[in-house]
Amino acid sequence: MDYLAPATLDEAYRALATEDSRCLAGGQSLVALMNLGLVSPARLVSLRRIQALRGIDPQSDGSLRIGAMTTHAELAALEVAPPGHALLAQAARVVAYPAVRAWGTIGGSVAPADPAADYPVALVAADATIELGSASGARRIAAHDFFRGLFETALSRGEIVTAIHVPPGPKDAGAAYEKLSLVAGDFAIISVAAIAGRTAQLAVGGCGPVPLRLAGIGVSDEALLKEGRTLAAKSDPPSDHRATAAYRRRVLPELIRRAVRTAIARTGS
Amino acid sequence: MSQEKLHSVLTVNGEQRDVLAPVAATLLDVLRSGLGLTGTKCGCNHGVCGACTVLLDGKLARSCLTLAVDVGDRSITTIEGIAGDGDFSAVQRALIDSGAIQCGFCTPGFVMALSELFARDPHPDREAVRTALSGNLCRCSGYVKIVEAAEQLAGGAHE
Repeated sequence: MDYLAPATLDEAYRALATEDSRCLAGGQSLVALMNLGLVSPARLVSLRRIQALRGIDPQSDGSLRIGAMTTHAELAALEVAPPGHALLAQAARVVAYPAVRAWGTIGGSVAPADPAADYPVALVAADATIELGSASGARRIAAHDFFRGLFETALSRGEIVTAIHVPPGPKDAGAAYEKLSLVAGDFAIISVAAIAGRTAQLAVGGCGPVPLRLAGIGVSDEALLKEGRTLAAKSDPPSDHRATAAYRRRVLPELIRRAVRTAIARTGS
Repeated sequence: MSQEKLHSVLTVNGEQRDVLAPVAATLLDVLRSGLGLTGTKCGCNHGVCGACTVLLDGKLARSCLTLAVDVGDRSITTIEGIAGDGDFSAVQRALIDSGAIQCGFCTPGFVMALSELFARDPHPDREAVRTALSGNLCRCSGYVKIVEAAEQLAGGAHE
């Protein structure tokens, strides 16, 4: 195994041209997989020194461009009002534990596409786009098209997640990220990310290989529970050591209802 | 896996240490096996238990999820760097006085988590204490006394 820590994106793209290279961001997922003997790349390309991957920058269209090496702690500390941005900050606050939040990055969470991770759910709900870079140029792809399957994304070989673009979301709406987990810091059993005002847009995590999306739905308790039951029936949740598929289907409608109620209560705050 | 070793210079508890380790070696491996600093414990080795907690530039870090070669010039503080000259730190003293140590395996990780908390907030409330400790497991399940120790320290006189 060799190790490179390039200072620029162009050097990183060249380093990644080698067969079986992996990007190392905060290491909070990759090093765990290496320790468990599940991953043993020929080359690690550390993104730690690349300044272009850092920083949270407001854009002229009201969206935030979040560099891929932004840590969960940096996002958790954001005090932002627009519901799209607030949703991401709320999700960041419940990713794992303080030590993981201090070093884990949004790019490093998005690229592996763990079906139980928090950001993918929030990003799909917020209509975020993922910015990808490679030696042949940059492109942007909607979050709901980026997550393709179990640990599977639209990333091509040699491409790096360079940033996440999060739009502010609708006016007169609030945001909530509801995570059901066994203990604080664990992966979610299921989670719901919601932006809601007069209507709701939301995404559900933990009920299949990729986040499930609902948009433009009514916000009465009755409508939400009905939508939730329909989604649960169509979903394909796993049965694992955290919960059975039947349990996940059972709690999904209520978690959707709670997320939307909380989001609406936060409107304007 | 190639066992080719890379040279790095780590700043550990204020001292520069030369390290020769494979790319896949974690900071935890290097601290314990390379530098003989065995106060940092290896529990789960995949980021769940918190027994391996150290500070990197003053921030909590899992040494088992940190590759030694990727530490760069960040300054490392281990449990060996917490106590003063032959004396315990206020956090360590509070844990002892409250009877918050049972088998002791998780204790170094808890000391690091509480040291980081008290460095940025001398008077944390219970919620802040519980959040700060949320990434540390105690399999003797001595959490009540650990939280009490932190609350006494938060309320009492300390550095």
